[in-house]
Amino acid sequence: MRITKSHKDNIVAYLCLSPAILGLLFLTIIPIIGVIGISFTNWSGLAEPTFVRFDNYVNIFTEDFFFYKSALVTVYFAFGAVITSIIYAFFISIMLNQRIPARGIIRSIYFIPYIIPVVATNVVWSWLYDCNFGAFNFVINSLGFDKSLFLQGEKTVVPSLILIAVWSTGNLIVIFLAGIQNVPRAYLEAVEIDGGNTWHKFRHVTVPMMTPIIFFNFLMSMINNLQVFVPAQALTKGGPNDSSLFLVYLIYREGFMKNNFGYACAISLVFFVFIAALTGFIFKTSDKWLFYEGK
Amino acid sequence: MANMELKNEAAANANGIKYKKNKEDRINIFITVLVILGAMLVLFPIFWMIRTSFMTNLEINTYPPALFPKKWLFSNYPEAMKTFKFLLYLKNTLSIVIPAIAGVIVTSCFAAYAFARLDFKFKSFWFSLVIGSMLMPGAITIIPIFIMWSKLGFTNSYVPLIVPAFLGGGAFNIFLIRQFMMTIPKELDEAATIDGAGHLQIIFGILLPLLKPVLISVGLFTFILYWNDLLGPVIYVNDQDKQTISQGLATFKGGFGTNWKSLMAASCLASVPAVILYLFGQKYFIEGIVLTGLKS
Repeated sequence: MRITKSHKDNIVAYLCLSPAILGLLFLTIIPIIGVIGISFTNWSGLAEPTFVRFDNYVNIFTEDFFFYKSALVTVYFAFGAVITSIIYAFFISIMLNQRIPARGIIRSIYFIPYIIPVVATNVVWSWLYDCNFGAFNFVINSLGFDKSLFLQGEKTVVPSLILIAVWSTGNLIVIFLAGIQNVPRAYLEAVEIDGGNTWHKFRHVTVPMMTPIIFFNFLMSMINNLQVFVPAQALTKGGPNDSSLFLVYLIYREGFMKNNFGYACAISLVFFVFIAALTGFIFKTSDKWLFYEGK
Repeated sequence: MANMELKNEAAANANGIKYKKNKEDRINIFITVLVILGAMLVLFPIFWMIRTSFMTNLEINTYPPALFPKKWLFSNYPEAMKTFKFLLYLKNTLSIVIPAIAGVIVTSCFAAYAFARLDFKFKSFWFSLVIGSMLMPGAITIIPIFIMWSKLGFTNSYVPLIVPAFLGGGAFNIFLIRQFMMTIPKELDEAATIDGAGHLQIIFGILLPLLKPVLISVGLFTFILYWNDLLGPVIYVNDQDKQTISQGLATFKGGFGTNWKSLMAASCLASVPAVILYLFGQKYFIEGIVLTGLKS
């Protein structure tokens, strides 16, 4: 039997995809099954695990007050960071796409915060936020307001961390810029011929044409920001009074500092279900505001 | 008469265009001012980091704060490096980042090639699965994956950090490279096939050089991802001497809480390699990202 071209293509394609398929299998699918399995045990990583049925889940929802607080501050942080940084990145990229002098250099400046390592960013901002000698409190004080506690205040810690996250969103700006360049010139010119001004072009061409990219950025940064870890580990250790005890940090603390693998997996699974539900919800509502060309 | 009218209309049009041009100029000036002011605000934390890294403790704790140090104290750097072992951390981080970038680029090119150029069974199924895996929150599965690596005996090593880069290379990277590949005319590979080139020759000989902008973007994204990673090293790397830059800086912050001049010097050092790399790759950066077809 001769090997036909399509047969050969099949073999080559699956060879090309084999690393990705192995990755999906060993780094996603099997681990998820693992999370589910371990979450029904009290495994500490040392002794043999015992099956404890739904005890971990009962614990999460009835006894563990860390979990509620943690879920709450994580959602607060993620929504705050995503919405603010999408708005910031969108308007900055619209402006960076106009005919402005030294555009290349200015674009680079807005992108640099993304290049600075996240831990360094957090350390630098914690100095700016310093209660006594920090630059921000100096400015606030000079303007006649009371000093803020920033990272040390229960109410101010999450907004302060959101501001750091917004400052470092250069990647969103790049993706928006790439998207704006795909908006067909012909459509913009059509608005001009019909007598439309800059605002009309923005409102009726740029924004609708950009909705798929806004959607993509929204979804991806939501998933990323829900998994926030660095500020909690490097700066706040979850404090003050658990006000920045983000879920991934809680999972890390339960799993790797207290060796409660079973409990940490149960939290992971609850978190996973939440993210999946949120993603599904975002996709469902997207029909209402997404604009597809040719639809 | 008709002629007159036409002329008038033309004049009116010209005036209108001029008026419009003026208005657009004014909008542009306004945007320019706004953007430059914003850029200064964006640069401020970086300026503050650099300025603090050259000050004495006394100057740092002076009120009101000075914009520039009286004397630029370069000795802060060697002093910080006594505890923040920058060169060691740099070596450690690079020995993770370099193989990781190679792994990501090679494996995501292969996958992108399959999706962009080949017809095979269940293609759309695998494509949606790969794209769907972008939505997978990786932090959820850290515990089973940690258990897997420790059963294999790879804790306190870089293996668990590097190997995932060779297994797929990240869905977004596959997607970006595929998008870019679709813009390269298929006739190029067909001509090469007629000349007797195999798939590997097409990928490495023809496509790879043309993919340069997108590969630089992917390389830079990967670099930043690994350079920033803290969760991975914190889980897998225990030895002080094996720490990465991010991990070392976090440890340094933990131990020397408010020794700001040394912390800022260490932060500057940690940022320099990334900034240099960005300046080299910057030219290709935005053109490398082709997003048409994101909608699907």
